[in-house]
Amino acid sequence: MKKVKVLILRTAGTNCDYETQAAFELCGAFAERVHINALIENKNKIFEYDILAFPGGFSYGDDIASGKILANEIKNKLGDKVKKFALSGRPIIGICNGFQVLVKMGLLPDSKLFKQVSTLSYNDSDKFECRWVYLKTVRNEELGVRNLNTAEIKCLWSRNLPDIITLPVAHGEGKFIPESKSLLESLNKSNQIVFRYCDKNGLQPQYPLDPNGSMRQIAGISNDKGNVFGLMPHPERYVYALQHPSRESFNGEHGWGKVIFQNAVDYVK
Amino acid sequence: MYQIEISSKKGFKDVHGEHTLSEISGLGIKQVEKVSYSQVYEIHGEINPAQANEIAEELLSDKITEKPLVKKIETGGSRSAVNSKLSVIEVWYKKGVTDTVSESVAKAVKDLGIKEEIKVKTGHKYYLYGNLSQKILNTIATKLLANTLIQEYKIK
Repeated sequence: MKKVKVLILRTAGTNCDYETQAAFELCGAFAERVHINALIENKNKIFEYDILAFPGGFSYGDDIASGKILANEIKNKLGDKVKKFALSGRPIIGICNGFQVLVKMGLLPDSKLFKQVSTLSYNDSDKFECRWVYLKTVRNEELGVRNLNTAEIKCLWSRNLPDIITLPVAHGEGKFIPESKSLLESLNKSNQIVFRYCDKNGLQPQYPLDPNGSMRQIAGISNDKGNVFGLMPHPERYVYALQHPSRESFNGEHGWGKVIFQNAVDYVK
Repeated sequence: MYQIEISSKKGFKDVHGEHTLSEISGLGIKQVEKVSYSQVYEIHGEINPAQANEIAEELLSDKITEKPLVKKIETGGSRSAVNSKLSVIEVWYKKGVTDTVSESVAKAVKDLGIKEEIKVKTGHKYYLYGNLSQKILNTIATKLLANTLIQEYKIK
């Protein structure tokens, strides 16, 4: 059986790389943490991997704006390679700060365009928000599909999940804002909205369950192909039941985050 | 030297400004009607106007929610005039204090492909609306906006 190789890109201020590595390894992959300077020195090294992960943290101290300096660095020094990787259909995930990087370099929501057309701005509270939240797994709303039929879910990372899951968030800049209403409608129509914040019944949440005031409660999006995925919550912080405050689990042992990583590993296999 | 001021675009929430207003109210000061916040960067070095604009638009401002204002400052002294209902408090690091954001900005400017050596200074600008005495402004600056051990403030 093929061993799936994952590149976890880290830099100064990245702090969720070990947990992300552990999550992928739990799913049977070989995950390697690679510093951005090493990748810039050997740009084609990226193609030795099947999956690319941008982990959470505070890259470059969140200076200027969260994810901005790393996004600028990647775009200018590795942009063509990262875009090629994305357009090849290989899975890419950006978690929290990694999501901010993907959005600010423009790999999300349109990997072909590769231009910033949306942002993750300051939380409405102007505070760092850190708690467990409920997420609604968005399926093809136009078709009204409400089952686990994977064919109806565009994003390869969010398959095999129920309607509502829980994951922790920890961010100060997570308010998703697209550049226009038409882009928002287009994301809706093309089924690129992967997760929305919700309450425990799946209904529209109020603060603090809505941690940031994102437009239409968006917590995670994918590109049109469904291989590039970014989200503010941290799936790597809920791969074991032990990590949940009430030890909840879907199988007695694991948390919903594991399903997300397993989806990508299984997709590559 | 260029001064680049980043503020929220019209229609987008100025969360830092609103938060500052709430904190001022928490000090018991009720005369402030509104606060607008800007992040300010001073770029020192032999860069041209096109490069200053590129830094402002591509790096320092968010394309979706923020707008940059780029001004060339010849003497370091010219600032916009204020009216009687508007006061401005600027907060900057004192000389000798490490400005870590400035180091990140200098690195990111190089990543943008601008090779000229630059030095960066970062600061904060608070626009306060209301009839405010010098005493009130000093209280807001010293109790809330500036850590006077490492930062200095200017009231305009």
